[in-house]
Amino acid sequence: MSDHHHDHDDGHHHPRPRSELELRAEALEALLVEKGLVSTDAIDAVVELYESDIGPQNGARVVARAWADPAYKERLLANGTAAIAELGYGGDQGETMVVVENTPGVHNVIVCTLCSCYPWPVLGLPPTWYKSAPYRARVVAEPRAVLREFGLELAPETEIRVWDSTAEVRYLVLPERPPGTDEWSEDELVSLVSRDSMIGTAIAVAPEPTPVA
Amino acid sequence: MTGIETRLADVDQALADSAPLPRSNGELVFDEPWQGRALGMAVVALEEAGVPWAEFSRQLGAAVRRHGYDRAEPAADAYYAAWLDALEETLRRAGVDMP
Repeated sequence: MSDHHHDHDDGHHHPRPRSELELRAEALEALLVEKGLVSTDAIDAVVELYESDIGPQNGARVVARAWADPAYKERLLANGTAAIAELGYGGDQGETMVVVENTPGVHNVIVCTLCSCYPWPVLGLPPTWYKSAPYRARVVAEPRAVLREFGLELAPETEIRVWDSTAEVRYLVLPERPPGTDEWSEDELVSLVSRDSMIGTAIAVAPEPTPVA
Repeated sequence: MTGIETRLADVDQALADSAPLPRSNGELVFDEPWQGRALGMAVVALEEAGVPWAEFSRQLGAAVRRHGYDRAEPAADAYYAAWLDALEETLRRAGVDMP
């Protein structure tokens, strides 16, 4: 049993130089920080607030479809890129999407150890912690401890697989369908799929049934 | 709290006539992460500099025309390239010393 599937080819994180525009945006930010007009934290805070506004819904839709439709799930695990495109989502950067499935004995978590490769088209903007050096280093070295800090306590016998994203290959975690949701429609299931559950730092949970008054 | 939804709603309104934020099915569209950051940078910088969004909107309208941005086929790449131009020009006109 391995605690870590380290799956990247060195040097593949940046097959292209970063775009001129990206460099220009970084330079502008640095200048405005220097002038005291913005702080990196203030921008982070704004980005963090609207990052939940984009993207994760696409991934949640993919997951809910896979839970509701076994044939779709099979296609999704066999060829993530094609199955995600079926729902109209996809990158224009040509990256391959690989979907890794959580099962009772296996928990998956994604990271980009070298930079911040992220399954954009389905998850939107990466959260700030995903790009932080501590997460990138520690989730590989001590995934169980890192997940515990996210409030996720896994059984000791659960195997943890860490997937290192690259510019070519982006991973998406297919969380386990929460128990007690057999009667739920696909639309209802979407609401259970959080961004973090598709990164692997959380699991999908159904709310406690409300007692009938 | 000034919710980001409120601030984004203000931005949407200010840009409605010049160059609306690229959206798909109501959700913001970015081709690359720096574009999302560029949006956040403008929100923070304009607020701090006390520049009205209407002024930025004027600059953005001119910039998207220069970049040949087509509203009918909103490409986030072209849009946010124009966005950087507009942000620089707006701040310059507001008296910020820009290179």
